[in-house]
Amino acid sequence: MLEKILTEKFRRTLKMIFTDITNQQDRRDEQEFSKDEVRIKETLLDTIDPFPSDIILEEDFRVAAVDGSGTDSLMTLDDIRVHLLSTSTVVLNTNTHSENVFSPIDRETLEDEVGEQPQIHPHWHSGVRNDARTKLAESLEDIYPLKDIADLTLPFFRDYLSIGRTEFEEDTPRLRDMEVLISRGQLLTNPAVHEELRKTSEYAAIRKILESDLQPKYIFIDGAMSVFMHHVRHYPSMPSGFMLRDLCALARQKDVILCAVSKNHTIPFAHRIAKMAKDKFGEGVKWFCHLPCKEDPGGGLHIYEDRTYIPPMLAVPYLYSFSRDNRPSRIDFDRVWWLQNIFVPNNPKATRANEKALFSEIEFVSRDARWYGYPVPLALAHTSCKLSYEDLRLAREVCGDVLRELNQEGVKTDPLRADYDL
Amino acid sequence: MSIDKDRLGELYGKVGGGNQTSLEIMGNNRDISVGEIFMIYSHRDGHERVFFFRVLGLENYLRQVDNMTRVASTLMVEGDAYLSGIERNMLLTIGGRMLGYAEKVGDDWTFRSPRRLPDHLGSVYRPVKGVSDDFVMEMLDCQTTGEIYVGDLQVGEETLDVPVLLPSKFLPMHVGIFGSTGAGKSNLMMVLIKSMIDNNLEAIRNPGKDLPRISAFCIDPHDEFAKGTDRYGIQDVIEDMSPSTRSDVIGDFYYLTTHKSATQRNIRKYAQEIRIFWSEIQPRDLYSIMEFTSQMMALIDAAYAKDRANWIRLILDMDEGSADSPIGTIRAVQRRLRAIERSPIFIEDGEKNTPSTLDDIFVAMETGRILVVNTSLMRDVEQFLLTTVVTRTLSDMRRALKSSGNLGDFEQQGKMRLPSRFFDRVKAKAKTFYGHGGVDNTSPVRDPRSLPVIQVTVEEAPSILNPELMRGQSVFKDISRQGRKFNIGLLVVSQQVSVLDNVILSQMNTEINLRLGNEREIRAAIENASVNISGFENEFRVMSRGEAIVTQSYRELPLPVRIPLFDDVYERDKNRYKEKRAKKEEEHIL
Repeated sequence: MLEKILTEKFRRTLKMIFTDITNQQDRRDEQEFSKDEVRIKETLLDTIDPFPSDIILEEDFRVAAVDGSGTDSLMTLDDIRVHLLSTSTVVLNTNTHSENVFSPIDRETLEDEVGEQPQIHPHWHSGVRNDARTKLAESLEDIYPLKDIADLTLPFFRDYLSIGRTEFEEDTPRLRDMEVLISRGQLLTNPAVHEELRKTSEYAAIRKILESDLQPKYIFIDGAMSVFMHHVRHYPSMPSGFMLRDLCALARQKDVILCAVSKNHTIPFAHRIAKMAKDKFGEGVKWFCHLPCKEDPGGGLHIYEDRTYIPPMLAVPYLYSFSRDNRPSRIDFDRVWWLQNIFVPNNPKATRANEKALFSEIEFVSRDARWYGYPVPLALAHTSCKLSYEDLRLAREVCGDVLRELNQEGVKTDPLRADYDL
Repeated sequence: MSIDKDRLGELYGKVGGGNQTSLEIMGNNRDISVGEIFMIYSHRDGHERVFFFRVLGLENYLRQVDNMTRVASTLMVEGDAYLSGIERNMLLTIGGRMLGYAEKVGDDWTFRSPRRLPDHLGSVYRPVKGVSDDFVMEMLDCQTTGEIYVGDLQVGEETLDVPVLLPSKFLPMHVGIFGSTGAGKSNLMMVLIKSMIDNNLEAIRNPGKDLPRISAFCIDPHDEFAKGTDRYGIQDVIEDMSPSTRSDVIGDFYYLTTHKSATQRNIRKYAQEIRIFWSEIQPRDLYSIMEFTSQMMALIDAAYAKDRANWIRLILDMDEGSADSPIGTIRAVQRRLRAIERSPIFIEDGEKNTPSTLDDIFVAMETGRILVVNTSLMRDVEQFLLTTVVTRTLSDMRRALKSSGNLGDFEQQGKMRLPSRFFDRVKAKAKTFYGHGGVDNTSPVRDPRSLPVIQVTVEEAPSILNPELMRGQSVFKDISRQGRKFNIGLLVVSQQVSVLDNVILSQMNTEINLRLGNEREIRAAIENASVNISGFENEFRVMSRGEAIVTQSYRELPLPVRIPLFDDVYERDKNRYKEKRAKKEEEHIL
């Protein structure tokens, strides 16, 4: 392909595409953005007041993070796929009273509370069989520690109602088991199943932290706090949506702040907001920007009016940047928690003060030189859980060994394309 | 058998990768230095082994950091950045050489060259002084024991209490001491001399044990061995002895010098002036130390054939027409012989009624004594000729012995090989040394290997052990090849390895490599080493004064050694020279 990529023709094609984007997409958004520009600049955007690097906190606190990784094709056996999931839980102590800031808590304590770290779980699934939904439900039940479906679904409905939402489909089926919670049964492709398994694994790990005596002040998770809803029935279309709300409710109860951080996000005009921050506050100043929803004072922003999941239901997103070298990231909080702890009705100043205090702490958690600007527990969890190609190769070798032990000689564990050297 | 791993030292790291020659170890972030020795415990296939590994290179390794430069620059630019939990992720990648492995066979530890690999992810132990010494000594017993103490096993910048000794039986297979100026050669020589004296003292005190005695003819070009370079010298060792012990160990003297009157007063008591008769010099002594054309050699050989005892005088008195050679050749030879004529130590027989010192040197060497020879006031050619005459005389005496079945044969052989006047003077004494059960002509002779080992130092070795001189009829060529048969070895001291002749280098079985001056010498030392030490270049580059790598063809392990200061070993041992017998008797009486 190189001979094609390095041609002038390819460059011309790219130029046309970028021009097209500017002409069509940007122009439309630009109009919307111009409507929001003043509001963003004057109201939503603000600076973070970083802690001094030698700060000694009055009370050190713990920060935790969970991340997961996996593959939907550890092995393929005809129509069956073996999924491999890994999760890692990291708990650090701000430890400002000693020189060794943000040191991990000792491994023994951590593993006593949340089990061996990192964890791996293989699951098998067939996305093409009739019982795909049943099998997925079984796997999810197996993974998620809260087994009672009523307990699992209740937090969602409670939160949903608490933010003033009342629309429900009249003939909502009785949510009596996990299988019923999978309402996207027709779309259970392998990637979708894997995504659900992976989310559930991460959520299970978070639940373990919340149930433990570790008592972190923050738990960071990778991704957004979006809940994909059934368009008709108005509740989550997959069990992980219920699980997320279960976690949010439990976190509130335990006084833990759940933060979902997305490096990859689809907030429109994020780069323009970053530029605006730079122009307003100067180069290198750390900032955040609230992305309000239509229920917030002033309503939602025009720039994401036609983007269904921004802001996500039951969550409050912010854009932030803690380092001049990084593009802005997104962080979501539980809206119910936010309304209780950050938002002060009719008092934007107090709300801002709460936001600034929150971001000061999150920024402090994000100063590790290896991943400057990104929450360090999340980076450590990511490092610890990621499955490299080499890890997967070895895992496949082990699969082969086990199959041989089971007298299933001759079953190949490599990806099918390997048979053709592809 | 199960090795008590706690005795190995502290658990330091794990074996990463590598092969039977070189390994990579992932270790804790400790203050490791090049040259440290680690031990790797391995239990493979029922064999418990301890592999020895030498650090040759170090690299910082941060787990979870793929781009160290980026992290460093972030720490610089973002003043408030930290590194969470980095302590436990700070590791060292250590590369180095496998030295071999120790394995217990029966009750004894054996040590083998690196021909196997330690177990997967084998645990690596760092020896700890005070903890590991005994166990390391036990495991390396076959690599470190002997009679001549050189120094202590060095692990990086520290030493373990594991003395490294050379076995005296290998001294006739020649020893090389290589080191640049200031590398610690003189101190090493003093430590070796003291160690030889200690060995002889031990042999004298334990006559029943039949311990080998060692003789040494030690050239001291800077006159520092007797007085010492700092506080103490060999003289202090001698003075600490009771008169009877001293008499047993050194006889009447141990110090040879050109001018006894110029010798420090306390040393003078044990000093003799060196006087060698012209009749004791043979042409090949000269051929060993300077170059002659074939015409010149023909002239010398003709004069020697004419009068073996007075050939030097004969040549010096030659004039035009008094020989078949052209006058140019005669003058050229005479010019070379003037050095002898002018020398205060090489004298015509009977001159000033002075006896030859060669007799006493012979007796000293055959009775296991150490001679320190102050050559500081000699010209180079005098020093080289003295070394050559002594070496050749001693080796010819032993060669005569080796060629004989009884003392009668020996007398015949001696007459043939040695200057007749010298031999006539010493033959009676020689028979007492060499005869087995008597001194009459029918008495069988002893095997030279049962006689004291003789070490002759060759200082500034490149001047006489260079390829040009060694090509001819050098005395040293014979000694280097055949010395072991006669129990005579050379102790070659040189600043350079690269310029020495291959004959001597290839015959050398022990090398004590001190700090070397340049890359060429480092390369030459590595190539010449009796054990494969390729890869030790970095180590040579960082060696300090007194540090050495000892390689021996009869041992598998290249031994890093720290040679202690003579003053320190003297302080440590000074009480051993007192007479013990008297105390014992007293105890007995009590």
